Amino acid sequence: MSEPVIQIEHVTKSYGTGGPVLRDVSLTVAGGEVVVVCGPSGSGKSTLIKCVNALEPIQGGRIVVGGQDLGDRRVDLPRLRARVGMVFQHFELFPHMRVLDNLCLAQTKVLGRPRAEAETRAMALLDRVGLHAFAEKHPGQLSGGQQQRVAIARALAMDPMVMLFDEATSALDPEMVSEVLDVMVELARSGMTMMVVTHEMGFARKVAHRVVFMDQGQIAEDAPTQAFFEAPRSERAQQFLSKILTY
Amino acid sequence: MSQFDFEIIHRSLSYLFFEGMRFTLTLTLLSALGGVILGTLLAMARMAGGPVLAACAAGYVNLVRPLPLVLVIFWFYFLVPYLGQWLTGASRPIHVGGFASALITFIVFEAAYFSEIMRAGIGSIPRGQAAAATALGLTYRQSMRYVILPQVFRIMLPVLLTQTIVLFQDTSLVYVLSITDFLGAASKIAQRDGRLVEMYSFAALVYFIMSFTASQGVRTLRARVAVPR
Repeated sequence: MSEPVIQIEHVTKSYGTGGPVLRDVSLTVAGGEVVVVCGPSGSGKSTLIKCVNALEPIQGGRIVVGGQDLGDRRVDLPRLRARVGMVFQHFELFPHMRVLDNLCLAQTKVLGRPRAEAETRAMALLDRVGLHAFAEKHPGQLSGGQQQRVAIARALAMDPMVMLFDEATSALDPEMVSEVLDVMVELARSGMTMMVVTHEMGFARKVAHRVVFMDQGQIAEDAPTQAFFEAPRSERAQQFLSKILTY
Repeated sequence: MSQFDFEIIHRSLSYLFFEGMRFTLTLTLLSALGGVILGTLLAMARMAGGPVLAACAAGYVNLVRPLPLVLVIFWFYFLVPYLGQWLTGASRPIHVGGFASALITFIVFEAAYFSEIMRAGIGSIPRGQAAAATALGLTYRQSMRYVILPQVFRIMLPVLLTQTIVLFQDTSLVYVLSITDFLGAASKIAQRDGRLVEMYSFAALVYFIMSFTASQGVRTLRARVAVPR
């Protein structure tokens, strides 16, 4: 594989005075790689992904994204974040703006693209996620699945070097999960570098190159997808898999 | 006591409205505008300004709110000339007109109330919205300007307008500075012609009708501005 896009080295983090949420976590995501991060609730996987674009500060270790150290004061964080796409559990579209404006805001204000160019790019991406007809609507008029697809398009409009997914399907009604996963699978197959926190093991099997299993703030297992599902080494991952794959 | 004289009201209408009400409305609108802007800055300083700035903003709000408005109006009117002298190094107290003094007072006073409204409003926006804006590369200022504040103003518009109606009533307190606002104008004619009952009753009626109508307007608006989520 090519150059690493994300390097997480010995990261520790805690919230306030509570115990550590991340304990000595190290993980590398190479260009073009799709890495799925899974694990039980409270294992720190969501926190970890939020640290990757410095939405959450870390207390120890370092994180390098696209060759830039997030802890380096000289790094222009907004510029860097603009190139790291993030998709949230609750979509977080801006409800007071039309779908089209949701896609254009950061393109024009952060990347400085002319409005016409931003709109062209936005419409192309809405087309890609199958929502061309919804450009003039407000997010509140869309279903959850549609909103999440718009959120993915909004992140893609920034031409990100990597896409982060933070439980992108966990807040959706069951029948809407697949339309969002379809978009994510298509994205993975197009060669996008992705770090995906999810419980959707079907997605992991289908497109992930590696699966990382987290437990109690630590990485318990980091293995190629096939090896992870067929022969997980850690006992905790075995238990986890046997529970969620039973049904 | 003589009969209720409608004629005196009729004769002074143009003075009451073109002099008095115009002053009252100008003062109300400019104070509300300035108060919302300063209040928003105070709210932002308190919520994201670092410990020192936040403490200053909180101190300001907590200092102003327990003071009676009339006291602040007086205090400002008599102290601002000396404050100006001290600040500019002039040899004599600077001249500040009644309008400027009243406007500054109301902005300073109302900002403390508006900042609490804005603080509640900013707090009501889900944290994920700011996170999403940040993740897209927007700076704090940009995310406030384009993402958070537009939603806050929409949600809080009825409350902001209600506070402005209270402000409209409170501007009558400038009568202590002998300024010709609506009440001041009515008061002057009342004193001059000895028609206290007529003029004060009429003033009360006008304040009631305007405030009541505006409140009803806010109620209708409240139902219509809810942000669809």
